[in-house]
Amino acid sequence: MLRKLRAALACAVVLAFASTIGATAQTSGNVITIGYTGPLSGGAAAYGADVQHGLEMAIDEINGSGGVTVGGKKSTFKLVSLDDQYLPPNAATNAKRLATQDGAQFVFCPHSGGILAIMGFNEKQTPKFLLGGYSSEPAILTQGNKLTLMIPPAYDSYFKPYTERLMKRFGKKLGLVATTSAYGKAWSEGFDKAWKAAGGTVTGDYGVNYNTTTDFSGAVTKALSDKPDVLLVGGPSQPTGLVIKSARNQGFKGGFAMMDQAKFEQVETVATLAETEGTIGVIPFRDYNGPGIKPFIEAYNKKYGTSRLPNSEIALNYMTMHLFAEAITKANSTDPTAVMAKIPDAVKSLPGKYQPSKINGVSKSGHLLIEAVAAIVEKGKYVPVPVPFTE
Amino acid sequence: MHLFFQELLNGLVVGSIYALVALGLALIYGTMGVPNFAHGHLYMLGAYVAFAGVTIAHIGYWPSMLAAIVVLALVGVLLERLVFRPLRNAPEVNTIIAAVGVLFFLQQFAQLLFGGDYRVFPTPYDKVVHFGGLVATQQQLIVIVAAAVLMIILFWFLKRTLTGATIEAVAQNRAGAALVGIDTDRVSMMVFAISAGLAAAAATLIASINLISPSMGFSVILKAFAIIVLGGMGSVPGAILGAFILAFAESFGGTYISTSYQDAIAFAVLVIILTVRPTGLFAKGT
Repeated sequence: MLRKLRAALACAVVLAFASTIGATAQTSGNVITIGYTGPLSGGAAAYGADVQHGLEMAIDEINGSGGVTVGGKKSTFKLVSLDDQYLPPNAATNAKRLATQDGAQFVFCPHSGGILAIMGFNEKQTPKFLLGGYSSEPAILTQGNKLTLMIPPAYDSYFKPYTERLMKRFGKKLGLVATTSAYGKAWSEGFDKAWKAAGGTVTGDYGVNYNTTTDFSGAVTKALSDKPDVLLVGGPSQPTGLVIKSARNQGFKGGFAMMDQAKFEQVETVATLAETEGTIGVIPFRDYNGPGIKPFIEAYNKKYGTSRLPNSEIALNYMTMHLFAEAITKANSTDPTAVMAKIPDAVKSLPGKYQPSKINGVSKSGHLLIEAVAAIVEKGKYVPVPVPFTE
Repeated sequence: MHLFFQELLNGLVVGSIYALVALGLALIYGTMGVPNFAHGHLYMLGAYVAFAGVTIAHIGYWPSMLAAIVVLALVGVLLERLVFRPLRNAPEVNTIIAAVGVLFFLQQFAQLLFGGDYRVFPTPYDKVVHFGGLVATQQQLIVIVAAAVLMIILFWFLKRTLTGATIEAVAQNRAGAALVGIDTDRVSMMVFAISAGLAAAAATLIASINLISPSMGFSVILKAFAIIVLGGMGSVPGAILGAFILAFAESFGGTYISTSYQDAIAFAVLVIILTVRPTGLFAKGT
C-alpha cells in the first residue's frame, strides 16, 4: 500500500513539473521566443554559456526599454535554451523542439556541426525559422539556405594573411598540430592547401584531440622531429596555450598559426607572451575597434561582474540579437522570411552602441560582413594584421 | 633513436597517471564487483580540491595534494556508505545506474561551484630539464617518481600489512573472509577511501601538466576501464601493466603511425590482446 502511494506521489510530482514546464513554454501574443541550442554541459559548457549570456544581455536590454513594436503591439523577447552537449544530432532535435513546441521563429546555434544539421530542415519543414549560426565554417555559406545568417568571419579569410606573414618571417615548412574535431580537421585541410599554394611544404599532420589528450608532449615531439618552421595549432583556447608551451619547452623557435577558435586573451592565461612570440591569431577582444566596444564591456561587467573577461562570442551574439530585433521592427512582423529580407536594412540602421565589432553589410549568401582583424605577437606586443573580405 | 627515447619518456608520464587511476578502479572492482563509473569524476574533484589548496588556501603544492587525498578518501567513504552499500544486494544494474548518477551529480556540482572554464593549475615545478638530448619539465619527472612511490606503498600495504591482507582476502572470497571474522563492511569503506585517494593524487600530479575542468574525468575513465579489462578485471598488477601498455601504444602509435589515430591504436591493441587472452593479462581467481 505504502509503495503504491509513493509511486502515485512520484507520478504526481513529475506531472506537476511537466505541466509547469509546458506552461512557461507557451508563447502569448506579445512574447517572441528566441530559441538557443548550445553546449550547456560537458567540455564546451563555458563556451555555450558565453553565447547564452550574449543573447540574454541583448534581450534584457531590449525588454528593459519596452520591447519592439510588431503590428502596432509592443512585444518582448524570451530566451528558451536547450543543452545539446555540442552534438549535431542533439542540436537538430533541440531546434525542432524549439520551433514546434516553443514556437521559436528564431534559433541560435554556436557550432558548425549543429548549424549544418539544422540547415537541413529550417527552411523546408514547417514551422520555418531563422537560424543565427555562430561558426566560422565557410561550408555554411555554400548550402544555399535562405533562412540562415552566419555571424562571425569565415575562417578561410585568415589563410592568406597568416600564410604571407609566417612564411616571410619563419620559413616555408609547416607542421599541423590542430585539434581533431570536424572543425579542426576542415581548418587544417584548408590551411594545408593555402600554404602549399603559396609555395610552402607541409611536413605532416600530427593533429590530436585537444579535449581528451592527457599530455601534449608526445604529439609535439613527433611534429618537431621534422624540424618545421611554423606549426598550425588550435582548438579550445587553453589547451592551445599548452601545445604552444610544450613546443617552446622542447626548443621550438618558429612561429604558430592559431585557428580562430583559440583566443589570445585566454591563451595568455596558460602561455606567456615570450612563449607566444611569433603567433598569429584573432586579435584579443579588448583591442576590437567597433563603435560599441566600450559600452558593451561596461554593460557586460555590470551584469556579470568583472571576474570573467568579456569575449567575442558574447559580443557577436549580443550584436546579432539586437540586429534581429531591429529587423523585426523594420519588417513589422516575426515571419522568418520577412525578417531575413530586412536584415540588410537593419544593418544600416543598427545603432553603433550595439556594434562591438563594425558590421559592413550582409553578403548574398547570408553572411554578416564583420571586419576581421588578426594580430601577430612581435617582441611581446600584439601587432594588428588586416584580414581582407573573401566574398 | 632520440625520438624513440623521447616518446618512451612521454609514454612513462602518461602511463603513470593511467596506472594510478586504473588501480583505484581495479581495487573497487576486485573487492566489491562494482564498476565505479564515477571514478573519473572523483579524479576531477581531487584536482579541484588541490587547486583550491594552492590558489585559495595557499598551502603549497604537496600539502594541497595531501589535502586532496584526505578529502577524496572521505568522499569515497561517504559514497560507499550512502550509495553503494545499500545496493549491495540489489541487481547489478542498479549499482551501475547509481554510479552513472554519481558521475553526473559530481560533474554538475563542479560546474556549479567552479564554472565550466578550463583552469590552470599553478606549479612550482615548470622548469625544463635537459639530459642526454631528452627534454622534460620537472613536473613530468615528478609524475613518474611520485606515481612509482605511491604504487610501491600500495603494494607494501596490500602484501605486508594485516589490514592489507584483509583486502586481499575479501577480494578472493567475500563470504569466506566474513566467516573468518573479517569486517567486510570496513574493508569496503577502506577500499573506496584508498581508491578515491589514489585518484586525487593522480589528478593533482597531472593537473599541472594539463588543465582542469569539470569534464576532465571523462577522458581518463574510458581508458581506465579499458586498462582494467586488459589487465584482468580487478587485478592490481594487471592494472599497472595494462596502464603502461596502453600509454606506450598511444605514444609510439602516435609517433610511428599517426597522432590522429592515437586513441584508435590504443584500443586496437586492447582488442588484439583480448583476442589472445580473453580473460585479460592477469585473470583473477585462477
